Amino acid sequence: MNFTKEKINDFCVLKIEGRIDTTNFNSFEAEINLLFNSGEKNIIFNCSGLNYISSSGLRVFLITQKKSISLNGKLHLCCLQPAIKEIFDISGFSTIFKIFDSEEEALDS
Amino acid sequence: MNTKENIVITNNVDELPILARRIEELVERWELPIDLTSSLNLVMEEAVSNVIFYAFKDNEKHEINISFSLENKTLTVEITDDGIEFDPTLRKKPDLTLPAEERPIGGLGIFLISKIMNIVKYKRLNNQNILTLIKTI
Repeated sequence: MNFTKEKINDFCVLKIEGRIDTTNFNSFEAEINLLFNSGEKNIIFNCSGLNYISSSGLRVFLITQKKSISLNGKLHLCCLQPAIKEIFDISGFSTIFKIFDSEEEALDS
Repeated sequence: MNTKENIVITNNVDELPILARRIEELVERWELPIDLTSSLNLVMEEAVSNVIFYAFKDNEKHEINISFSLENKTLTVEITDDGIEFDPTLRKKPDLTLPAEERPIGGLGIFLISKIMNIVKYKRLNNQNILTLIKTI
């Protein structure tokens, strides 16, 4: 798993690459905490490079969404691979996240 | 073609990537649909990490036995451990209609397994947990 962080307008765009699973979800969670602690409120997860997620990773997505709502921030997801989107659909996560096809659309909303 | 495979791992999350690689090999060798690799990996990660995290209270090393078999387009996976009795099929299904604020953290692993596989069975036999997962290919 790899992250690239970029500030674009009001958003912090976190590009996630690789897998989020039982063995590494902790570092994903730590990365998110770092974002919130540094004062970021509006976050985009660009998931174009995310090719595997298990319930440990979904758990961190949900925690991030709860935190974002409590801060009146924005959490936008974009560019989910079809297999990942399917897991979001099965888990009922597609309705609790704002999911966009492209990063541009995520930035414009 | 030998369509039975047995894998033994210990109760350590560091062994999950080893299991994932073995599954990839198996899908290739048994000529199963390639998109099954990812969903089967997910199912196995959820089931086995549950065992690793919740079945053992003694900090000792335990073996988890995983057997795969393929017969008439039916894939059967059996996970056996000697941990405390735990029937994952009794877990309450998550309420998918709740908004994010009210969604409980966790509880999705077993649910994902039940959505991907066709049959999920549990039995307790000789002080062992046996979880059987069946999928029609």
